[in-house]
Amino acid sequence: MNYQPSDFLPILVQLVAALAFIVATMLATHWLGPKRHSVLKDDAFECGIESVGDARTPISVKYFLVAILFVLFDVEIIFMYPWAVNFMGWVKSTSDVAITMFLEMLVFMGLLLLGFIYVIKKGVLTWEK
Amino acid sequence: MNAIIALSLFGISNLFLGFLNNRKILLPATLVFILIALGLNFADWNHEYYWFNNMLKTNNLSVNFVTIILLSTFLVVAISRSFGDDDEHSHPAEYYAILLFSAVGAIMMVTFENLIMLFVGLEILSVSMYVLTGSDKRSLRSNEAALKYFLMGSFATGILLFGVALVYGATSSFDIHGIAQGVAKAKEQMGGAYGPLLYSGVILIMVGLLFKISAAPFHFWTPDVYDGAPSIFTAFMSTVVKTAGVAATYRILSISFPSVYGLWGNPLVYIVCATLIIGNITAVYQQSFKRMLAYSSISHAGYLLITVLAKRPETNSSLLFYSLAYAIATITAFAVLMVVSEAQAKNGKADESFEALNGLANNNPLLAFSLTISMLSLAGIPLTAGFFGKFFVFSDAFSNPSSLFKWILVIAILMSTVGIYYYFKPIIAAYMKKGEVAKIELSPLYKFILILTTTLTILLGLAPDLVKNIF
Amino acid sequence: MLTLSLILLPIIAGLITLAIKGETAKTVALVFAFAELALGAYLYKSFVPDATSQFGLSYDWIHSAGIKFSVGVDGISLILVFLTTLMVPFIILSTFGNNYKNASNLYALILFMQAALVGVFTAKDVFLFYFFFEAALIPIYFIAAIWGGENRIKVTFKFFVYTIFGSLFMLLALVYLYLLTPGTHSADINAIYEAAKALDLSTQSYLFGAFFIAFAIKMPLFPFHTWQPDTYVEAPTAGTMLLSGIMLKMGVYGLIRFILPIVPLGVDQWGFVAIILSVIGIIYGSVIAIQQKDMKRLIAYSSFAHVGLMSAGIFSRNLEGIQGSLIQMLAHGINVVGLFFIVEIIERRAKSRELSLLGGITQTTPNLTVYFIILMLGSVALPLTNGFVGEFLLLKGVYEYNAWIGAVAGLTIILGAVYMLRMVQKSMFGITSKITEGFTDLTFNEKAVLFPLSFLVIALGIAPNIFLKLTEPAVSQLLSIIK
Repeated sequence: MNYQPSDFLPILVQLVAALAFIVATMLATHWLGPKRHSVLKDDAFECGIESVGDARTPISVKYFLVAILFVLFDVEIIFMYPWAVNFMGWVKSTSDVAITMFLEMLVFMGLLLLGFIYVIKKGVLTWEK
Repeated sequence: MNAIIALSLFGISNLFLGFLNNRKILLPATLVFILIALGLNFADWNHEYYWFNNMLKTNNLSVNFVTIILLSTFLVVAISRSFGDDDEHSHPAEYYAILLFSAVGAIMMVTFENLIMLFVGLEILSVSMYVLTGSDKRSLRSNEAALKYFLMGSFATGILLFGVALVYGATSSFDIHGIAQGVAKAKEQMGGAYGPLLYSGVILIMVGLLFKISAAPFHFWTPDVYDGAPSIFTAFMSTVVKTAGVAATYRILSISFPSVYGLWGNPLVYIVCATLIIGNITAVYQQSFKRMLAYSSISHAGYLLITVLAKRPETNSSLLFYSLAYAIATITAFAVLMVVSEAQAKNGKADESFEALNGLANNNPLLAFSLTISMLSLAGIPLTAGFFGKFFVFSDAFSNPSSLFKWILVIAILMSTVGIYYYFKPIIAAYMKKGEVAKIELSPLYKFILILTTTLTILLGLAPDLVKNIF
Repeated sequence: MLTLSLILLPIIAGLITLAIKGETAKTVALVFAFAELALGAYLYKSFVPDATSQFGLSYDWIHSAGIKFSVGVDGISLILVFLTTLMVPFIILSTFGNNYKNASNLYALILFMQAALVGVFTAKDVFLFYFFFEAALIPIYFIAAIWGGENRIKVTFKFFVYTIFGSLFMLLALVYLYLLTPGTHSADINAIYEAAKALDLSTQSYLFGAFFIAFAIKMPLFPFHTWQPDTYVEAPTAGTMLLSGIMLKMGVYGLIRFILPIVPLGVDQWGFVAIILSVIGIIYGSVIAIQQKDMKRLIAYSSFAHVGLMSAGIFSRNLEGIQGSLIQMLAHGINVVGLFFIVEIIERRAKSRELSLLGGITQTTPNLTVYFIILMLGSVALPLTNGFVGEFLLLKGVYEYNAWIGAVAGLTIILGAVYMLRMVQKSMFGITSKITEGFTDLTFNEKAVLFPLSFLVIALGIAPNIFLKLTEPAVSQLLSIIK
């Protein structure tokens, strides 16, 4: 199957269309909308109450840490899916392969388990501190 | 390969050793780990083997590169002095662990057979370095350096990946030998020319790798990053990352793309000239020793690229020798810089300018002498290993029959002379300028490392055949 | 073996001297220097006066590149090795009156430099030659930069960079020639001579330029001489003696050993330019020397003038010219070491080298006067002194090449007499000034240096053949290669 560069033209068209849509709507609202500025109208909207202070409050890093840890272990789970799909095939064929594959997955999970233990002992997951 | 597995496991062990609340055992433990990894590495000598379904190959050449990488890591860990005593702001267990992990990445970069492995190794190495660059959380320079390095490094890795994808499109293979065959087939089909996919793919891969070794014009991140990172990690970056990067660049260019030499050779000529000129001339104007070392590492990347460009059978051997000489000299220079700048700290901030070295020789003869020898080696003065490093690089370039190389060599020699100017500034400051540096107390390990590196530099400068025979 | 020990002994001596602190460092260094002199004398005695290279030895150094550690002594090297081994004990002895800080480092550096110099003169492998050529720069740089005068930092750095810049061109030329040798290349000098026979004129011109720049900066020749007066003045006297007594001979030796045999066509084409530059240097150096007020600077310029004549004699490519340059190297080495030492003595006592402030020293120092006059006459090339032998042969050689150039070069004798006699008159004769009133005569150490040197001035002037007959076969063979 010889793919010519011209076969990929639809992707470019889609990209251009998406960009054009965004740019067009932004320009359209900018030009078509009314232009009335006042102090109260240009203020940031916060459910009708007055906004106080800087929007840039520091957020505790533990949120970020929990999110990142979630991503890591989620990826681990994702890696288990194709392994699981193929595992049946390995079990049905010669048994040596199955045991090797199982041990490999154990090693993979073991290393991540070590990481998990490290994370727990470092106290990352204790929320109140 | 066992070295990779061992180092990964040892890295994890370091993390757990950190829980013992005993800072003192971390450094010796890490040194032992690296030595074990070195031993496992030597076990692969004269034993060519493919691993992981032809993704990695260990042969004598890779054993040599890995030895240099692990030796540099060993020296860097040895001069790290357990990262001080501050329990709240420095985490030595984690730093050592990350150093070991980045060594793993570097090893993968010199043993890859498959472009995916190159990417994996590069990312492991780079991300570890991003973290370590920003490890001094209280310093604004360190945070800035980490962010710059991360942003620009990720972008470069993205470019590398794009190049890999394009090359895959052109040759339908990720394996570097398979790519070579694919390139040959593509050239046959097109009657000697090469299509746009291959063209852009090769250039993008080259650009991505050249970024990592800070060749001009992809060098703009180097001074700020090297200057902002803590000196110990700068020492690691400028030796291990550069060695691994140059080895990887040469590996892929010489195995996969030798038949399209004109494609990557032409731009590389200009890159080499620009690197040499920019690196050396800007270094002349620096007031800070650390920044000067950063620019000088750019110029050394230029010298290494000369022999990559020459693509001779002896290139790997010259790269190995030059990397070894350069790594030893740079680590010595950083070792001296670290202790002196701490001792001369002004207002709590380490003083890294040349003035901090004034009068070093009066009370600290060992530090001054090691500094002198390492500067002479970096400048390429005979009697030191750096001279033979440059000599082998120059004779490789000279052996190449193309007359272009004569001009590159003339530029290289002129820039070497410029280099002498800024490499002598620390020597002059240490021996001839008036200043007071109090006697700095060094641990026995530190003194041993200084004496070891100085002796090695002079020894290799007198008898380079000791290692050249092995390389 | 003898050559290797001539190179190794100063290195070992230097390492031992480094370890010794305090006053004994001087004596240890001196003892080793005399041991080296004994080896040098033995070499001289057992040298067979023919054109072969003797006492040779060759080890594989960088096997993969065909570079060997190969040394040997032939007639041309012999005189220079003898000069080196002869001068260093006197140089060390001349420092005994001074009190240097970290003196053991100074003596160690002098000894290391001696090893490098002997290495340069005996190397038979071109990369070994280059290696020692560069390695000799490091000790002298540190000697001048650590123990030198007020302005030493910039001046010595300029000297270092200028010289290395020149020798990098020589490295390029050597690598080019090395790659011309057949098969797995070899850096042996005879192989290089062979390979160079096949070169055409334009390549030879480039190579001539590359070599010439390196050696012209080293000697120095006009117009590459700007580093020389400042460096000679700022360096400590021991350093200046090493520089002018022995190190500049490396450049002259390079002319004989490299330029003449390797690029004869280039010399045919460009030798005239080289001679003109040398003669300009002679006149220029002498004229400037006449106007000098600082004694050390005056002798530095006189050294510049003398080396111009040596180089002119070499480029005239006849037997007298080259023989003259060899014997003049030895003579000039002896004379200039003696003269710089006398300047040092005067500076020690009177704390100044300014001719206008000095005068009338001879009234209290008969010994100093005698030695000063003998060395001065040797430098002026009065018959019966060593300088005369050298200059006469050189002038004859240059005259045979071109009578007019010979005549202009002959002015060196007259101009030399002018500045030398002026220097002696202004410093020694006349009425004593404020700073020379309490001038004491020579101490034993100082006499121990000056007496042998003056003796050699006269002895070599009366019987120069003890050296000339040893160098003649090698020079004749060299000339036959060129023709």
